[in-house]
Amino acid sequence: MIEVEHLNKVYGSTRAIHDVTFNVEPGEILGFLGPNGAGKTTTMRILAGYLPATSGTARIAGYDVHQDSYSVRQKIGYLPETPPLYPEMTVEGFLYFVARIKGLPAGDRPGKIKAAMERCNLLEKRHVIIRKLSKGYKQRVGIAHAIVHDPPAIILDEPTVGLDPRQIIDVRNLIKSLAGSHTIILSTHILPEVSMTCNRVAIINGGKVVATNTPENLMTQLVGNSGYEIEIEGEADFAKQIIQQIGSVTLVESISSVGMHGQTPQDPNRARLRLICQPGTEPGKEIVAALVAAGFGIYEIKRANATLEDVFLQLTKEEKKLELTEDLVTTEEGEAA
Amino acid sequence: MGVVLANIIAIYRRELQSYFVSPLAYAIAGAFWFISGLFFVLILLSPEGILNSVAALDIQGQQIGVPVPPIDVPYEFVRAFLDRMGWLLLFVLPILSMGLYAEERKLGTLELLATSPITNWAVALGKLLGVVTFFTTLLLPLLVLEAIALNNSNPPIIPTIPLLGHLGLILLAAAILSIGMFISSLTNSTILAAVLTFAVILLLLFVDLIAKNIGGPLGDIIAHFSLLKHYSNLTQGVWDTSSLILFASYIFLGIFLTAQSIDALRFQRQ
Repeated sequence: MIEVEHLNKVYGSTRAIHDVTFNVEPGEILGFLGPNGAGKTTTMRILAGYLPATSGTARIAGYDVHQDSYSVRQKIGYLPETPPLYPEMTVEGFLYFVARIKGLPAGDRPGKIKAAMERCNLLEKRHVIIRKLSKGYKQRVGIAHAIVHDPPAIILDEPTVGLDPRQIIDVRNLIKSLAGSHTIILSTHILPEVSMTCNRVAIINGGKVVATNTPENLMTQLVGNSGYEIEIEGEADFAKQIIQQIGSVTLVESISSVGMHGQTPQDPNRARLRLICQPGTEPGKEIVAALVAAGFGIYEIKRANATLEDVFLQLTKEEKKLELTEDLVTTEEGEAA
Repeated sequence: MGVVLANIIAIYRRELQSYFVSPLAYAIAGAFWFISGLFFVLILLSPEGILNSVAALDIQGQQIGVPVPPIDVPYEFVRAFLDRMGWLLLFVLPILSMGLYAEERKLGTLELLATSPITNWAVALGKLLGVVTFFTTLLLPLLVLEAIALNNSNPPIIPTIPLLGHLGLILLAAAILSIGMFISSLTNSTILAAVLTFAVILLLLFVDLIAKNIGGPLGDIIAHFSLLKHYSNLTQGVWDTSSLILFASYIFLGIFLTAQSIDALRFQRQ
């Protein structure tokens, strides 16, 4: 349904996205996950036909987004980073306007607009002027405007930004309910969102897609289930150095020593570490041996399963420098648009 | 074709609706009616007004014993009034056109328009029709004033002359608004758009003077671009096709440039 091949976008001398390739099957929800400034918005804009790509192709429903922009625009619903709303219009009036410019036949408008408002819980606000709505409601109007004409492909750029936890759950359920009859691509930097709503994830960092798979596969393939949480006596940084020397450990990080019981550590010399190991390895013995040999005391060691967050951190921990320049690019981009 | 028309109407309707709820539109309407009403009364009734000066001329003529050639008072009045109105446009129109695109760019709603199945032409045309309609609505109360005044003239004025004059006023406004719309599409600052439009209109109105200074065939060519010259043709009741073509060209140029600049924006975003 959505096919992206070797997409590149260069702004002046900066590469915003580099050789991005992925596919979204009909009826699927693809999560586009990446840190801020990774190139998510740029990719979304290219897909929506708002920006031309420097090279590469993107097709939606078989139409090239650049060559057949007009046909593509008939097939998509697109929620930009900031919802494009006219503050002086009422919710219903705005949705009618959108339905008109999206070419929805006049007879279908009342029904579809009501359905979209119902889905986004906007019915009680239908006559309210958009300016007077809270940010969460504005975001929902934005989602409603992207789905009002029932497009086969829906592109949502950070759909849950600005919503409270209750609304986030509603929006996730809404997105899930759209799957099957619609193909959805949504971008986010929030990890749980992806594992909860998406069939597949594309992780993008520094303008490159670093992995595409189902959330479950990503977790098992990349980190397996082996990880540990250790509480030690001694200096955390030194302990990290020692642990990192063990070959099968891929990631070590300090975590708050305020444990599950909520106590603050009595001893400042007490630290808690979390480590992720290569799949299929059990380096627990070596870790303990190395720590003890270096004179650390061990209060606790337990198995900790990897989360999607670990996958994400592991995939995106490199290329910090590139990421910074990317940040700059997207800020400027936001201002210009 | 039907789709394009439906799109134009959709944009046009939204544009018109926005004037009804915009405090700026009401402020402009209020100021416009006050100032144009003032012009109307001053030109017609003040001590230096047209009625008094014609009367004074008549009395003078009777005293000397030389009959004064008859003056077509309603015609002179319509001309003088429409002339002042032309100048008033200089201040009103930049404020009307400044937000047409600058506001959309600022709100991000241009992203909605650019990713909808609607052409830049349709958007620009719909917007221009909307703002011209708003301007025409501003003229309606003045038409009532004129109808009352001209109704009392004897012999009655031929209605073609004021009608042609007002058509000229609307065409002049449409031409300027079209150029203003283009300028508005270049920036996301409404103030900047208004200032630039003001400067450009001033230039277009003064092209006449510049042309006279240059002189020769080049001056003649430049003089043809003067909006004011062609406008005064129409207010004098002269039906000149070249004037209509000039106004139409300005309107077309504005729409064309707007559509192009919005298209070019795609390639500039950084």
